[in-house]
Amino acid sequence: MLDARHLGKSYRLGDGDVVALADVSLSFPRGSITTVVGRSGCGKTTLLRLLAGLERPSSGELLRRDGGPLRTGVVFQEARLMPWLDALGNVAFGLRRRVSAAEAEERSRVALETVGLSTFADAMPGQLSGGMAQRVAIARALVTEPDLLLLDEPFAALDAFTRRAMQNELVAIWQKKGATIVFVTHDVEEAVLLGERVLELERGRVVGYEPVDLPFPRDPTDAAVNRHRRRILANLTTPSSAPEPSGAAIPPSIAKETSS
Amino acid sequence: MLRLSTLAVFFAVLGVWHVTSASAWVSPFLLPSPRTVFETLIELAETGALAKHTLVSLRRVASGYLLAIAAAVPVALLFSLSSVLRRAIEPLLEFLRQIPPLAMMPLLILWLGIGEAQKVGIIVLSCFFPIFLGVRGGIAAVDRKLIDVGTVCGFSRAEIMWRIVLPSALPSIVVGLRIGLGYSWRALVGAELIASSAGIGYMIVDAENLARTDIVLAGILVIGVLGLTSDLLLRRLIERKARWLAGELEMARA
Repeated sequence: MLDARHLGKSYRLGDGDVVALADVSLSFPRGSITTVVGRSGCGKTTLLRLLAGLERPSSGELLRRDGGPLRTGVVFQEARLMPWLDALGNVAFGLRRRVSAAEAEERSRVALETVGLSTFADAMPGQLSGGMAQRVAIARALVTEPDLLLLDEPFAALDAFTRRAMQNELVAIWQKKGATIVFVTHDVEEAVLLGERVLELERGRVVGYEPVDLPFPRDPTDAAVNRHRRRILANLTTPSSAPEPSGAAIPPSIAKETSS
Repeated sequence: MLRLSTLAVFFAVLGVWHVTSASAWVSPFLLPSPRTVFETLIELAETGALAKHTLVSLRRVASGYLLAIAAAVPVALLFSLSSVLRRAIEPLLEFLRQIPPLAMMPLLILWLGIGEAQKVGIIVLSCFFPIFLGVRGGIAAVDRKLIDVGTVCGFSRAEIMWRIVLPSALPSIVVGLRIGLGYSWRALVGAELIASSAGIGYMIVDAENLARTDIVLAGILVIGVLGLTSDLLLRRLIERKARWLAGELEMARA
């Protein structure tokens, strides 16, 4: 449903250009859940911001294959809640413009319930824990019934227990709603636990592609999960695995494999 | 709301004042006892002089303060929207900001006389900048990350301004408004002390000429109480209209 063709993004920094993303060609089939993994500065956040429409690509293009406006929901690393609105108001934030106030409230309550926070509708952001705030942010992204849900390391700031719970919740939501999900993380284990396929990004390029054909919910101690994890880690830690950003285009094999 | 410790401090100060004056450690002529000042206050209230002067001062503060808001908020918004304007005019405003409003008094008296226009002018001058800087600072400090949220939700520029930028800037705007209100009182009394025929400041300076320290002190008390009351009303208004802001107000004590 969403194709990236030779997508590139560079920023001006002083006298030179810094290439954040160099020539990425990918396809995200409808209803798929893709994780993008890589170290800090590999371009994964840039990729997500391009998909979200927060940045314009310097080169290449984004194509929507089945046309029509694409409803996009984004969850950032921080919850980014409006401090002057309560939890319910924050969930309804992007909605009120399109629907009546009564419907906005109704849908926001449903979204809050989906993330297990129905009793905290009146809580102000300052009164919520990090995990709860992030749940509100997820509800805010879900309330528009997005076709495309983009998540940028949404659980990175949470403790391990909360993170596990949230990962399972996300999978459950995905299975229920059937949205296309792109999930960016620096945590290889998380990438394997959540992705039907894992894209490995390094220096602005896709350097690996790992289909993970395991049933959800996945167990981090599972041997198969570990095998995928090791393979991705080995690929990402090989220093020569990434060509220089100015190098050749993405290997056609990967481009072909990742499109469907 | 008034805690016991707060009341205790007030009464302690009153006590020290009373003892200092009653023991004639400081001449009662220079420092009348609290009782005398209180009686003077009653007397001033009964003759209507207090109400008259207070009303004159209040009216000046109200019109000066509202005029300053009417000028500062649009200018600050305009500057936030247009970097061309900002670069062109802000240096001049920065220059003007360095001049204490009271230093402009002689000029204002020459230009505007010693009537209401000059009083209101000095108030506008002194509270324009706190309000202006509050609005400017609040808008400039808006978290880009919150604006991203609006962009993702498909907001237009106007919607982002109205639904994200202005609410985010509100704490800083409110701080500016509160500081501005405090400044306007100070400037007013200063102006009334120098050249005036009515108002609390005039009442004080007139009493000084008559060597009536009790009236001077009564006037000072009234100024303090009026300032506290107006600040309290502003805070009440904010607490009612924007409860999430209440905690941020403490930094605005100026």
